[in-house]
Amino acid sequence: MKNKFGKTNFIGVLITTLILVIIVVVSSVNAGSSSVFNQVVSALFTPIQNGFAHIGYSMSGNPNISDVDKLKQENEQLKKENEELKNGQRELEVIKKENDTLKEYQNLKDKFSVFTTVPGMVIERSYSNYDKILVINVGAADGIKENMAVACGQGLVGHVIAVNEHTAKVQTIADTANTISANISTSNQSILVKGTIGVTQELKATSIPAEATVMQGDTLTTSGLGGIYPKGILIGTIKEIVNTKNQTDRYATIIPSVNFNTVNTILVITSSTTENKQE
Amino acid sequence: MKKFKSILIIILLFIIIYFLQCNFFSWFNIAGIMPNLYVVLVLFVGLFIGKKIGVVSGIIIGLILDALFGRDVGITSILLGAVGLAAEFLDRRYSKDSRITIVIMAIAATVFFEVAKYAICYFMHGIELEIMEFIRILLIENLFNSLLIIIVYAGMKKLGYYLEDGFKTKKFATRYF
Repeated sequence: MKNKFGKTNFIGVLITTLILVIIVVVSSVNAGSSSVFNQVVSALFTPIQNGFAHIGYSMSGNPNISDVDKLKQENEQLKKENEELKNGQRELEVIKKENDTLKEYQNLKDKFSVFTTVPGMVIERSYSNYDKILVINVGAADGIKENMAVACGQGLVGHVIAVNEHTAKVQTIADTANTISANISTSNQSILVKGTIGVTQELKATSIPAEATVMQGDTLTTSGLGGIYPKGILIGTIKEIVNTKNQTDRYATIIPSVNFNTVNTILVITSSTTENKQE
Repeated sequence: MKKFKSILIIILLFIIIYFLQCNFFSWFNIAGIMPNLYVVLVLFVGLFIGKKIGVVSGIIIGLILDALFGRDVGITSILLGAVGLAAEFLDRRYSKDSRITIVIMAIAATVFFEVAKYAICYFMHGIELEIMEFIRILLIENLFNSLLIIIVYAGMKKLGYYLEDGFKTKKFATRYF
């Protein structure tokens, strides 16, 4: 009886696991990425493929038994060489990665040369589905303070909300508690851009002046109002304008220029050079 | 010694969940939505070990999460503490030997935690309410949590009773003797 229940439990767990994997795969395929699906299928079928390949290989007539010792020696030698090459390659990869990061920092520094900046890396992302907060590897020791703006090569990331000695928390512009003043590229009028709770990371632009002509594809940049974000940093492009009965209630959805799930290298804007000159 | 071992197990579970939430579930998710295993962990501790350890572990885990990722320090801590406290209340009324009961308890705890957190965020930061999107995320999060509980239930129960042995003193129903 106990055995029967144990078996039923096991089958239940197996079915649930399969359901979960299928849901995850289907949802990721729907999201436009089939890589997870490919990986799962490949992981399931690789051993079978290997087995067939092995059978085919042994049937097609291969080395004599007398050559086995020689082949073994050669194999050992090749394994050693392979290991050395792998080590060399690993070292090269590390150097290449460092080089890429430094290049990225340099490009970013050039792009934001008007500002005094501190480069950093994203080391952690919020676990919650409702917050969009990043943790970066620079903190008070590097001169970071609360309310400093954070940007990357693609545009505005967010602002610093808390600082530790060597890390800082950045509230991204996609976070639902964040609101920024922005300028529309074509009309130069100011609007408010808010983060949303959705996982698509879309932003919402409100308070669009009734007389403003807003077009799909218009870009938005920071207006410089509010004291946190300096003027002229790219926020994103308008995806859709939703018109309501009342013209003042209309709003627009915005695709941010930064992908907050993949952003790694960032710059914290400590001050603009114009501010430095004034000081 | 057993108590010390049990606390070490809770710490280890927290580290494993921290790793899963920060790395594994960032790609193994349902439509971009991750489960919330911290709530399940605190509920598990409260159910099997008792309210004292449940509340304390909830507060400590919450404080760590708030310090690492939180917008405001203390909110997650208080809410997870409340989940730990409610767990013993649930333990007294419902059996934890049923998979379905545990799943329902986890759904209730997750709904309480996320709704309270969203409401607090609404009042503190004046965010715009997006009820439909919030419900959608909450439903998927609960589905994910439930499926994971169903999968790990057997191990969870075994470990739970081991931890319970270390903390709870056995009470005899004297009226039967």
